[in-house]
Amino acid sequence: MRSLLATVLAAYLIAAIHSILAFINKRRSVQRVAEWATVAGFVVHTCTLAVDWMIDGHYPLFFLRETLSFLAWALVAVYAVALYRYRAQAVGAFTMPLISILIFIALMANPGPNEAPASFSATRLFPIHTTLVIFAYAAFFIVFMASVMYLLQERELKLKTFGAIFHRLPALTTINELATSSAVVGLTLLTLGIATGMIWSWDRYGRMWHNDPKEIFAALTWLVYLVLIIYRSTADWRGRRAAWLGVLGFALVLCTLFGARLFGGYHTFGMLLGF
Amino acid sequence: MSIILIGVNHKTAPVEIRERLAFTDEACADGLRRLVDGEVVREGLIVSTCNRVEILSATTAEQMESGAGRLAQFIDAAASLPTGFLSNHLYRHADDEAVRHLFRVASSLDSMVVGEPQVLGQVRRAYSVAVEAGTAGRILNRLVHHTFRVAKRVRNETGIAANAVSISYMAVELGKKIFNTLKGCTVLLIGAGEMAELSARHLLNAGASRVLIANRTEAAAQEIAREFGALTLPFDQLDQGLAEADVVICSTGAPTYVLTEQQARRALGRRRNRPTCFIDISVPRNIDPAVGKVPNVFLFDIDDLESVITSNIREREREAERAELIVQSEVMQFQQSLRLMDVGPTIGAMREKFQDVARAEMARQRKRLGVLTQEQEAAIEALLVSTVNKISHPILNQMRRFYETSEPDAAVTPDENFDLEE
Repeated sequence: MRSLLATVLAAYLIAAIHSILAFINKRRSVQRVAEWATVAGFVVHTCTLAVDWMIDGHYPLFFLRETLSFLAWALVAVYAVALYRYRAQAVGAFTMPLISILIFIALMANPGPNEAPASFSATRLFPIHTTLVIFAYAAFFIVFMASVMYLLQERELKLKTFGAIFHRLPALTTINELATSSAVVGLTLLTLGIATGMIWSWDRYGRMWHNDPKEIFAALTWLVYLVLIIYRSTADWRGRRAAWLGVLGFALVLCTLFGARLFGGYHTFGMLLGF
Repeated sequence: MSIILIGVNHKTAPVEIRERLAFTDEACADGLRRLVDGEVVREGLIVSTCNRVEILSATTAEQMESGAGRLAQFIDAAASLPTGFLSNHLYRHADDEAVRHLFRVASSLDSMVVGEPQVLGQVRRAYSVAVEAGTAGRILNRLVHHTFRVAKRVRNETGIAANAVSISYMAVELGKKIFNTLKGCTVLLIGAGEMAELSARHLLNAGASRVLIANRTEAAAQEIAREFGALTLPFDQLDQGLAEADVVICSTGAPTYVLTEQQARRALGRRRNRPTCFIDISVPRNIDPAVGKVPNVFLFDIDDLESVITSNIREREREAERAELIVQSEVMQFQQSLRLMDVGPTIGAMREKFQDVARAEMARQRKRLGVLTQEQEAAIEALLVSTVNKISHPILNQMRRFYETSEPDAAVTPDENFDLEE
């Protein structure tokens, strides 16, 4: 489905360019173009995934190309919710380019064999596990973005520089709420994702825990976000420290995502990136 | 028709001259009735603010020169100055330039502080005075309504009024950068200076729900409190107020720090770390600069505010360049609509005339047709009229297009060709 995916890439690129332009010159009309392009891209993207699923006969979240595409799809979905809920347009200027890059790599990547090992596609639990985890990571990416924006905006206010960033980033409260709610959503999804993974593993191997690097990183990630949420909830406002935790947490997410490749272990299933 | 504008503003005339010229609303109405004679000056409008006096009028194209002379005389007389005294300070604009000038004034591109919103309201009032005086006719009506549209467009499509350029409004802008919305915020005024009062008013307008006032002299605090529906706070209970306040504006005349880092930290603890915006507009400063180092506390002194304002003004000036482009294109649109307005009634009259010819012919030949039913009669008339309309339609359309795109003076005057003036 390369041609469909190329269409998706085109829409996301338009959205990315307009998001950046809107971020720079603050024109509402440009922002609208970006939003419509995102919506159009997302619709085609959803169709692409569905078509993939029908043709290949397995849930489109297994091989490298699919995983990247699915991750990008989850990011768009999470970003759209953040945009709708918090009007945090600035997020788009950074997220949409990243999403475009993910799709681009997915397009370039080796499509891989069509058949997933039957043992993975046979069970319903495995796709649920991967979907939950992917969405959790997308939510954590928003936490990361919000944390970076918080640190930048707070710095502007403290140093009273009032430069371009000051005028373009949302208010501290908005960013703070965005980070908090994304972290809660992300942690919930990750918890469910890990649980389903354990059950699946129990069914298949008779054990829940394999002590492989990916699992250890995932557990660490889970712990960091748990600490982050507890830390945030013990006061009305945590500011910088919570924001730094959001950045650290995302570093762990990246380790978890790519950990399997770097350190090997049980979660490397041939062509897979992760999972 | 021609539009003439004559006036002085803060760039061309010192305040000594502007104050002599300033019109009150009544003087405006009187002056307009004297100025507009229906012969040379057909329509008139006077915009008088502290920074400008502009007299706008419509004359026929042929009488433009004498009209401009009348305006100059009028303005000299209004200021009770000898004729020609003002000539160095006056600017004159005609047609496109006059339209452009009015658009720029109403969009606040010609203001002392670019983007300030008051001037549009002043133009609006000037217009209603002219309407009441009966001196706003079809040209000025159209022009002024177009002007409102341009001003609105400039405001919406450029950031010309986006950033605060006054100290008192900075509290709102900074508050919004921290709290996003000021709805439900509590404001604490320490000291009751005029500037603090003004800031509090802006904050209330922006949605702040509560104002607390702490002042050394209770009586002064009470007085302001009544005005805002605010609560007063004894000075020794300042800590209580600090714990509740999201925005604190400090402007006492005290020679030392009124607020210390210790107090700010204590307040932060009681607020469960929710951020606070401190604005210190007093000189010497009343808030210890160390307060700014407390996490989640944002402190701005008068110099900080000034520097933001300077950068905001620069930002507005950049936006003003975009606004000029909008004005430019709107001037062209207005000219076009004016031409259409000139030709519109003429075309209507021509169509009527053609139809009359058809009906007259019908009446002349009616006898020969013998007895007809009413339906038949109506059908014949409809046939004639629609034939005439269909034949004349392309010609009239061409005429309309010609007027839209070129100088009306160069066009054939249809009135003469078709003898419409009978």
